[in-house]
Amino acid sequence: MPYRWGMAVDADRCTGCEACVTACHAENNIPTVGPEQAARGRAMHWMRVERYVEGDFPDVRVKFRPVLCQQCDAAPCEAVCPTYASHHTEEGLNAQVYNRCIGTRYCGNACAYNVRFFNFFNPVWEKPLNLQLNPDVSVRGVGIMEKCTFCVQRIKAAKTVVKAEGRALRDGELQPACAQACPTSAIVFGDLNDPESRVSRLARSPRGSKLLEETGAEPKITYLAKLAWDESDAR
Amino acid sequence: MSPLDRRQFIKVTAVTGTAAALAACGNPEHQIIRFIPEDDLVPGVATWKPSYCPLCAAGCGVVARVMEGDAEVFRNGQAGVMRMALAKKLEGNPDDPVSRGKLCPRGQAAIQVTYHPDRVAEPLKRAGERGEARFVPIGWDEALAEVVAQLDALAAAGETAGLACVSRPRGPLRAALVARVLEGFGGRAPVAWEAMGDDVLRRANGVSFGSHAMPMVDLADSRYVMAFGADFLGTWHAPVTFGVGYGRMRQGRPGVRGKLVQVEPRMSTTGASADEWVAIRPGTDGVLALGLAHVMLAAGLRQASDAGRAGAAIAGWSEGLSEYTPARVEEITGVAAARVERLARELANHPPAAVLIGGPALAHTNGLFHALAVNALNALLGSVGQPGGLVVPPDVPAPASPAGLASLLEAAPTVLLLDEANPVFDAPPSWRVAERLRAIPFIVSFGSFIDETSAFADLILPDHSFLESWVDAPPAGSDSSPRVAGPVMRPLHRTRSMPDVLLDVSRRLARPLAGLPETFEAFVSAAAPATPASASGPSRARATADAPAAAAWAPPRFDGEAGEFPFHFLPYASQNFLDGSLAHLPWLQEMPDPLTSGMWSSWVEVNPRTAERLGIAQGDIVEVRSAHGVLRAPAVLLPSVGPDAVAMPVGQGHTEFTRYASGRGVNPLAILAPLTDEATGMPAWSATRVQITRAGSGDGSLILFAGATRERPDTHEGR
Repeated sequence: MPYRWGMAVDADRCTGCEACVTACHAENNIPTVGPEQAARGRAMHWMRVERYVEGDFPDVRVKFRPVLCQQCDAAPCEAVCPTYASHHTEEGLNAQVYNRCIGTRYCGNACAYNVRFFNFFNPVWEKPLNLQLNPDVSVRGVGIMEKCTFCVQRIKAAKTVVKAEGRALRDGELQPACAQACPTSAIVFGDLNDPESRVSRLARSPRGSKLLEETGAEPKITYLAKLAWDESDAR
Repeated sequence: MSPLDRRQFIKVTAVTGTAAALAACGNPEHQIIRFIPEDDLVPGVATWKPSYCPLCAAGCGVVARVMEGDAEVFRNGQAGVMRMALAKKLEGNPDDPVSRGKLCPRGQAAIQVTYHPDRVAEPLKRAGERGEARFVPIGWDEALAEVVAQLDALAAAGETAGLACVSRPRGPLRAALVARVLEGFGGRAPVAWEAMGDDVLRRANGVSFGSHAMPMVDLADSRYVMAFGADFLGTWHAPVTFGVGYGRMRQGRPGVRGKLVQVEPRMSTTGASADEWVAIRPGTDGVLALGLAHVMLAAGLRQASDAGRAGAAIAGWSEGLSEYTPARVEEITGVAAARVERLARELANHPPAAVLIGGPALAHTNGLFHALAVNALNALLGSVGQPGGLVVPPDVPAPASPAGLASLLEAAPTVLLLDEANPVFDAPPSWRVAERLRAIPFIVSFGSFIDETSAFADLILPDHSFLESWVDAPPAGSDSSPRVAGPVMRPLHRTRSMPDVLLDVSRRLARPLAGLPETFEAFVSAAAPATPASASGPSRARATADAPAAAAWAPPRFDGEAGEFPFHFLPYASQNFLDGSLAHLPWLQEMPDPLTSGMWSSWVEVNPRTAERLGIAQGDIVEVRSAHGVLRAPAVLLPSVGPDAVAMPVGQGHTEFTRYASGRGVNPLAILAPLTDEATGMPAWSATRVQITRAGSGDGSLILFAGATRERPDTHEGR
């Protein structure tokens, strides 16, 4: 059976620290755009932490929600792409083929999660920052749409290793950069086709829900709700 | 002109094409020198090498992913390209007791220190006035000869005590070696300076527990954690270790979910994650802690004698803290009496529980009192040393008293060594650091970057980055020896390891220093098992020696009359930059702040009710004025700060700190009053009052991250 990659994000663990945000930049050769472009809404964060502030002082509640590409099974971004740059792989990933992309940005408009980012100009890494670039990930040029890939380069590398060693992939052996960095282990990645994998078990949790499920996009990331303290829990 | 026919056109283009190709042979890019690789490399295959993150005192163990790449380097006086092993990414080291395989955003960005385009690549000599940051390159031999001449002159004049050193807190072995060199020469003991450091808590721990180490909490086993101001999931002393424990405290035990209560006047990222946030009046935390203890004692939930030595440090402890009734606590702290009662019972009834204090809660004139009060509460709870409770590691040397940097500057040294500390930016303005640096005859910086302080240096002798040198980190976990790792990659630039430069200099002196190791590597290899960190025996005696009279509540003093300056000014360590020492890293500049999503910006957090009253809208420029200075920054309206306070992240406002940070935003530390914690002399950076006024509409300097999930997917709002 092929893999079906999915993720669970536990808001009860997430502290909003943004380790995932920086880890994603480091892994995926995401450029910084600088203050002028950032002010125009062009900062690229495949992974972001959303914040929801409720209430008035002093009764204030804050919730954090890390948001990345939801790798939808009925992805609106795929249907609108005229060049099939945005397409579905057999492992359930929303893949983006950079050299097919012609920059119509239809996919960005179609995505309800705002997780697709357009390269308005060629990215710049002032020397020698370029030496940090991950050789396993292509650098995207001007006119290209890009987004979270679930660290597909890590998926490919792990599959090569298990094939060479003639064994099955162990649950938890493969992690995208965000999940690996996350201090509280709020982000869990794995194979949804394995009913015993941690991500499958979390996806069945009664605390779980999907973002904007009503759009029918069938996202593959389960968000586990933040709990309130119940005195009986702590006994 | 005769029209070109096809044949002529082909002739002409063939000739010019060949000429262009020939000209390219003279292009220097095609004559670039390739050095023979020194590393044994397999293209495309990654190896992993351990190191330690140097960006905060926690010293997270990391592993660097190393792959081959072409770097422009300088070897034997010749520029060229070399295929070499390059660090590509940092991950937490799963075997390390501090990082436990995880990293914080700053640790992820630490790799940019090595590859920063504005790193000092070779020794520099000052060419302009002090502080102007104009430098010219100088060779290592010439530079070292100059340092040696200055030190020889000091020794010849019999004024070796004129040699001083200021550094950021570094690994214990590096600090020990620097101290030995200075001691061997006869200089002053080196001073570690960190603007928002924890010296007040360290001193309190010496009094209460006989150890000056920073406390940890075994969160994975805790059922109830209360933190006073300590942003332990964000910016406090070991955020990754705490983060790992926090995840388990919440969801790591079937059927048990620990509670987190955060007590602070301005909500930190830790406060944002808490189950209950208690907005307390600034400078009154210790009163609430003792109020909780009072309720427990009055209700017979605990006995006063349970607290032992930590309780004895509090005046009135054995009499049941009769002054700290819930009614009086409400009067002082603003926390309702009924809530004090409830919190006390919850805390007492949900063991194992632990209480933490740190950060802004201790940056008051009565800071030590708050720390002692919380220590006593922990002791009363029976939490110290218990699973799920407060962990106080073995003793470490007590922090210099009071505020070592201030006294060092007052002593006017002749030769000052600077190791990455940046007091011109982050020390209290009343210490007049820039002015005092101007008066020091010779300053040597070992910094990798030109910042506000190294701009005053006569010489900059750039250190290797942590990935290019031997590094050590404080002991952690069950092992009492420092954690040590070798270089991950070869140096990119013409830099030298700072400890090795010091050893080199001490060998070149007219009277070479004796008894020093050959290299830092040799020192690390030999000294790793025998470290000063586990010496808990003798230092216990010293700890009792600095026990003061029992601490009693004294109201905090604030600078500025409440009438003229109606708002508490609450600077806080930024999740992106800590105290500002990381503002040069572009990933951190562009990382949205957790609570505001601010990037590349400074801002003032204003309560929406205050803003409405003063006619301030989101993004408007506000003027913040204390009795000691004034600044302007855009407003961010947030209910997580009270109507009687405004808050500002520390870190921006650098005048000189690489292309990414220079001239960006404002520095809130620059308008602070010269108040200190009266018991320790540490800066009381939460004790300034300010007035705020609207100074104009937004100037575009507030940059927020625009991306968000669409609340209504059929519209394009939030794009």
